[in-house]
Amino acid sequence: MQWITLFQKELLENWRNYKWIWVPLAIVLIASMDPITSYYLPQIMEAVGGMPEGASFELPDFQPSDVVMMSISQISSLGVLIIVLMSMGTIAGERKSGVSELILVKPVSYNNYITAKWAGLLVLVWASLFLGMLSSWYYVNILFGVLSFISILKVVFFYGLWLSLVATVSIFYNTLFKTPGLVAFLSIATIMLSSLITKIFGQRFEWSPNNISIYIKEMLVTGSVSADLLATALITIGIIAVLLIGSIFTYKTKELAN
Amino acid sequence: MQELFNEINWAVIAPFLVIQAILLLVALIDLFRIDKTNGPKWMWIFIIVIVNIIGPILYFIFGRRQ
Repeated sequence: MQWITLFQKELLENWRNYKWIWVPLAIVLIASMDPITSYYLPQIMEAVGGMPEGASFELPDFQPSDVVMMSISQISSLGVLIIVLMSMGTIAGERKSGVSELILVKPVSYNNYITAKWAGLLVLVWASLFLGMLSSWYYVNILFGVLSFISILKVVFFYGLWLSLVATVSIFYNTLFKTPGLVAFLSIATIMLSSLITKIFGQRFEWSPNNISIYIKEMLVTGSVSADLLATALITIGIIAVLLIGSIFTYKTKELAN
Repeated sequence: MQELFNEINWAVIAPFLVIQAILLLVALIDLFRIDKTNGPKWMWIFIIVIVNIIGPILYFIFGRRQ
């Protein structure tokens, strides 16, 4: 099947340019940084010094769920940045260098081309997130306390939806513009704008994908999946589908216009 | 400082160091095998080796030509 071939080409390419090595490792580092530094905070403070004599510093007592959410918030900032930067050239770069013409001159459908790219990116993102949260879970368990593996899997599933949305936004801008830098800038601007809108109009956008980490935290504390979380997840999937269809459409019209 | 060194649980830190070493090695190997980078090669060697953790990542994002 054509789609499988394109998808395999995508995986091979991401392996050849080392994305399969450095993206998971980078996400693992990002996810495990906070559990380690917050565990060693007293020693770090002592080593750095600068505390006046006799001053006592009350350190908060971290719950395992707090620490997992620290990892998530690190992935939300640095991890999202990495995903956007590594995906900024997936289609835009190929169009600039003329590789996409080489592929699309053959009877390759636009649907297959875009969705194979998208799926290749998503597999990488999900694998990285899984490994990152696995390392965070490992550190939480040896440093802070027990957290069940099932709850980490749930976190990966729901948070993966948010990262999928980020990747899809990047794919969407990839089909619109040929300059990778512009793609990265617009993707990050869109994500920041959507979080700003969610914050300002909090009541109206209760189920905005930006709120998904709030509900994930709720899920970690209570242990049950709330209706809000499910609704947010469904809306996120819906926006991903719309963006994907939109990117196939814009790519078709753009390529035909050229 | 020595005390701090002994207090550290190496089972915690070791994976961290290993990952950093892998990133550094893969970046350096690729740097030597690749024809051309964005910007001079010696600059990237410095960035990869000296800038902790993010050096290799910076190289993979910006240094390699697509």
